[in-house]
Parts: sequence; C-alpha cells; structure tokens
Amino acid sequence: MGNLAIAIHSLNKYYDDHHALKDIDLTIGIGETVVICGPSGSGKSTLIRCVNGLEQFSDGELVVLDTPVDDDTRNLNAIRKRVGMVFQNFNLFPHLTVLENCVLPQIRAAGKTRENAIIEAETQLSNMHIAEHLNKYPDQISGGQQQRVALARALCLKPEIMLFDEPTSALDPEMIAEVLEVMQELANQNMTIMCVTHEMGFARKVADSIVLMADGRIVERGEPEQIFNSPRNQITREFIKAIST
Amino acid sequence: MEATFKERFSLLQWMQRRLFASWFDSAATIVLGFLMVWVVWQSLDWAVFRAIWSLEDRDLCTVDAGACWAVIEDRGRLILFGLYPYEEQWRSTLACLIIVLTIVLSCLPVFWSARRLILLWVIGFGLFVILMRGGIAGLSLVTSEKWGGLSLTIFIFSGVFLIGMPLAVLLALGRRSSLPVIAKVTGLFIDFFRSLPLLAILFSAAVVIPLVVPEWLHGNKLMRVVFAFSLFFAAYQAEIIRAGFQSTSQGQEEAAIALGMPYWSVLLDILLPQAFRNTLPSTINQAVITFKETSIVTVIGFFEIMASGNAAIGTGEWGQQFVEVYVFVALVYFVFVFSLSRYGAWLETHMRVGHG
Repeated sequence: MGNLAIAIHSLNKYYDDHHALKDIDLTIGIGETVVICGPSGSGKSTLIRCVNGLEQFSDGELVVLDTPVDDDTRNLNAIRKRVGMVFQNFNLFPHLTVLENCVLPQIRAAGKTRENAIIEAETQLSNMHIAEHLNKYPDQISGGQQQRVALARALCLKPEIMLFDEPTSALDPEMIAEVLEVMQELANQNMTIMCVTHEMGFARKVADSIVLMADGRIVERGEPEQIFNSPRNQITREFIKAIST
Repeated sequence: MEATFKERFSLLQWMQRRLFASWFDSAATIVLGFLMVWVVWQSLDWAVFRAIWSLEDRDLCTVDAGACWAVIEDRGRLILFGLYPYEEQWRSTLACLIIVLTIVLSCLPVFWSARRLILLWVIGFGLFVILMRGGIAGLSLVTSEKWGGLSLTIFIFSGVFLIGMPLAVLLALGRRSSLPVIAKVTGLFIDFFRSLPLLAILFSAAVVIPLVVPEWLHGNKLMRVVFAFSLFFAAYQAEIIRAGFQSTSQGQEEAAIALGMPYWSVLLDILLPQAFRNTLPSTINQAVITFKETSIVTVIGFFEIMASGNAAIGTGEWGQQFVEVYVFVALVYFVFVFSLSRYGAWLETHMRVGHG
C-alpha cells in the first residue's frame, strides 16, 4: 500500500433509504491523475467529498496517504492538512481579499508566521497568473480568476493530493480553458489529482485513468484511449456517445 | 442659459405630471402644500422667531411667547448630568466623550477583529467607569446612585452592548451546536428572555433578585439592571446572529474545514464576520431600539436623561416649559440615534453587504 495516495474498499453510503454509493473499490497511486465522470446523480461528488471527510460514508474502508478516514477526528485533521480541495462554487471567503484568502488558512491551519504566509501566497498567486489582483475582493474578479485563487489558496498549504469537485461547472465557457490550463500544469508537476469533471477534452489529455460512475457504482475504469475508443461497458458507451455529440 | 431653461422646463413638466395631473391632484397638492408650509412656519415661529433664549429674559416667558429656551440654560446641566455633583460634572462629560470616541473608533475597519474590539471596549468602558465613579487617582467617589442624565443613558447603553454582544454570539453558537443538550438549553434561554417584557425583567433584577439571592451576590442595583438588560438584548441579538449564520453559504464552512482550519478559526475568522455583515441592518436596528429603550429604567428609579428631563420641569418653577424640555431631550436622542443609523447606512455601502 506504500505508494497509494487513496485506497477505497467496499465503500457504501446511504442517505436514509437512498443508496448513494454502492461497493466502491478505487485506488489512486501517488502522482496519478484520475478523472471521475458520469451522468449527474451518479455519486461522483459524494465520493470525492468522502475522501476528506466532508461527507461521511456508511461502511467500507477509505485510506488516504496511509491514514484511515474514520471517526477519529485527529485522523481527519491530519488528512485535511495533506489534501487540498477545489469546489464548483469556488467558495472563496468574500470578506477577505485575494491575498488574505491565501494567507489566513496558512496561519490557522499550518501555524505559519504571517510574513512566510504572505511570501508563499504571492508565489502561488503569481503561478496562477493573478499576482495583479492581490488586494481585490473575490467579487471584483472574474469566475475564472476566482477559481484560480481557490486553487492557489489550496496549494499554499502544500497538499500532497488535490481534489477537484467539478471545478469548471460554474464558469462561463470562455473561462473554462484558463482553469483547465493551470490544472494541467499541476498534473504535469506530478501532483496526485482526483477530479470530478464533465470536461472530456481535459480528461483525455491529462488523465492517467478515467473512472466512469453511474447510479452510485463504478462501471468502468481505464486509460483515456481505451475509454474513449473501445469502452467495454454499455453505460460507458452511451455516456461517451452522449457527451461527444 | 439654455441648460437652465431646459432644467426649469423639465421641473415644470415633472410638477405637471406628478403634482397637477388632474383637478383632484391639483387640489390635494395645494391643500397639503399650504398645510406643510403652515406647520413649518408655526414650528419655526415658536422655536426660533418668538423664542426666548436667555435666562435674563425669563420673565418674558409667557403663554404668548414662543419657546422658552431659557429653561435649558437654567436646567440643562440637571438634564444632562442628573444628580451628579456640580463640580465634578466635567468627569461625566469626559466619560461620555470617551464612550463616543470608543464607538467612533470601533467603526474604523482597523479595529474590526474580535481581539481589538474587545480590548478597545474594555479600555473605553473601564475609563468611563473610573471617571464616573472615581475613588481612585485623586478623584472623589461618586457612587452610581448619583449618576444621571445623558451619561447614565450612555452607561446603560454601552454596558448592555458590551455584555450583551459577546453573550449573543455565545448564545447563537450554542443554538447551532451539534450537541442537542446545549442547543436545547440555549434555545430555551433565548425564548424565555424573549417572551418576557423588558420591564418585567428589569423589575425582577432591581427588586426581586435581592429578595431571593444571597446578599454577597447582589452587586448594586445599577449593575443588576444593566446585566438583566444585557440578557434581554442578547436574546434578541442572538437570533439576529443566528439568521446571519444561516444566510452564510454551507460552502464557506466546508471550504474552511477542507483547508484544515481548526473549528474555532472557522467560526471566528470565516462564519462570524460574514454573519455580522449579512445582518448589519438588523444589528443597527437592535442597537437603535436598545438606545431608546434605556429610558425604561426611569420606572425603577434611575435618573437617565428622560427622568432628569422630567425632574427639570417637576419643580413648578419651570412647569410650563415641559414642551421645550421634551424637545431638547428628543434632540439629544435624535443626535445619537440618527448618527447610529447613518453609520449603519455607511457600513452597508462600504462593507460589501449582500455580496458573495
């Protein structure tokens, strides 16, 4: 298990009567980029939110960087310090400037000094090409810029795994590319990435493997070429056909 | 020339459309217009043109004359300071100014962090109490029974705010606690104090508590009243803050948790500031109501500004001038409350309320 970033075994999740995740088995190696796709309501977001404990699962096993996700909050805290997450709605803190959005979590979560946190934040923000907006508030910049700030904010904490929950779904079409671009850069730097997205172009180009979910189950996992060119599963075939037309 | 003509023309047009569109509109405009002018004229005539300003002319204060402002010159100090010793009234003035300064300072963004605000208020309020009470640093002792007038009003208001606001935050947090016991108990507490009239709460604090609580816990009457008032304020303010929490998106909390921020920081740095921003209009509203409600303490024997106003006209000597005194007291209230509302309006436009 040494070089596994995320190991999920027989994971089930129920919302009252609704069986949201069914016997999920999934492993993601360190440095791997895995894209999770599938029709809406298939449980993709629920699954990714289980990884850092935003969602609790009902039974099964979930191990992140050799630490089990369980009732022990210390484990969960340890995992959250090593796993970053980017959300569909950015979730920047609206009352803080772009810079402060990146600085505060470093001070509070990593116990850094303010000076060091500012240096780190400025580096990450300029990597994301938004160094000129440091003192603006989130609602003063575009959606694409906000999402890149959200990514910089997560990266400031030096995560070993990045989770992306539909990072481009709330963006206007012209801004999708700029976010996918920085995500690709991140993948090229060997970050471990678990990403829920509908951007099939991105999946094809960047992913090491694609996981297809439907109705709470993983129906197929494979390399992009195989998934796109010779899908084995009927649902996969229909899904690929639906999104490529 | 052309522009002014155009402006005048458009004003005429506007008047025609809005004020004289039909015979009924025209009649209403004329009648109401006359009424308005008459009321304004009468008020000015009374308050300014026919008014008697100086104490030396007090003999002219007859029923026919206008406002007799001489009463303010004669009794102004009683109204503003109550029974506070005459020679020491500069302390009362200074204390009030310190609180006003504290309020102004806490309006500056530099002080908008929990730690700085609390520090600022503890210092401001502390100085106020030291100046008012004395007994140290060469100041003579003036016990709180002798406090009165505006400074008592301000003392009660800022005391209630100082104790009530942190308490409100705690109650709001308690009510959204995941532990059912805490949520239930705070919920019960809030509902209890909201279901009682303020007057009943203050009476209990002033009169009933000393009968049922051991002597060493009594404190003085003013402290008990301020504390009871704070509980009442906190119950209402807690519900306002809770609404603020509810209006903050779930995503904010999740993002902060996912970043690994400890829960106290999620609350203090992320949720609470947004809850306050989102509910600023209601909070200012609550502050304004509280300021005005301080006048209720009159009935349990405190000489806040309303009561000292009554005292000023109660002697018979100035018995005819009650209108002038009430107008003066109303003006004092107006200055404070109006400043508060203007500050609230300013905050709303400058604090990005409603964004994000």
